[in-house]
Amino acid sequence: MHEHDEPLRDLLVILRHAPHGSSWLKEGLDAALVAAAFGQSVSLLFMGEGVMALMPGQGPGPLEQKGTAATLEMLEMYDIETLLVDAEALSALGLSADELMLDVTPVSTEAISEALSAHCLVLTF
Amino acid sequence: MLLHVVNRSPANSRVYEQALSGMGPDDVLLLIEDGVQGALPQLVRYYAEIEGRLFALREDLEARGLLGRCAESVQVVDVDGFVTLTEEAERTVSWY
Repeated sequence: MHEHDEPLRDLLVILRHAPHGSSWLKEGLDAALVAAAFGQSVSLLFMGEGVMALMPGQGPGPLEQKGTAATLEMLEMYDIETLLVDAEALSALGLSADELMLDVTPVSTEAISEALSAHCLVLTF
Repeated sequence: MLLHVVNRSPANSRVYEQALSGMGPDDVLLLIEDGVQGALPQLVRYYAEIEGRLFALREDLEARGLLGRCAESVQVVDVDGFVTLTEEAERTVSWY
C-alpha cells in the first residue's frame, strides 16, 4: 500500500559520512555494489558530510589508505546510475553539483523523503 | 507511512536534521536510546515541524529518569508499541 504510480526500486543506500574519516562510506558503497551485483536496482543518496565523497581530485590517505573515489568510478559498471545528492548539504559546504566527480542529481528536502518512500529497502550508512 | 527511528540526542547530534529531511508528510518518528532526550520540553522544539507524529520509547525514558518529563506533544510508547508502529509502517528507516 503506497501512493506511487511507479514501481518501487529495490534499494536506496544513504551515505552520510565523508571519505577517510571512518569506514562508513566504504561499507555503504560495498553494500550498494553487492546488491547491484545480485541484480537489485540500487540508488545512492549522498547526505550531509557524505557529499564529500563526490569531491574531484581525492587521493590516498597520509598512510596510503585507499579512499573511496575508485569505487565511485565503478558505479556505472554496476548499473548504479541514480545518484542523488542533498542540495542543502552541498550548499552548506559551498559546493555545486557541476564540480563533483560524477554526474549527480541535486535533490531538495522534499525529494529526499520521496526517494525514501520509492524504495523497498533503505540502508543508512 | 514510514517509521523513522532516531537514537541520538538533538543536543549532541544533528542527525535529527537528516531524519526530518527524510520524512514524508505521513511518516512518524520514534525516539529511542539517547534520542529520547529530544522528548524533553527544552529540546522538543527541534521536532516542531512533525508535531503529533513524534513518539518516544518508554523503556528508554524510564531508564534515564525522563518518563513524566516529556513534552505533552510527544506520544510515549513501550516496546510493544514500537512493534505495533513497525507493523503499521510500510518500512522502517534508522538514523544514528
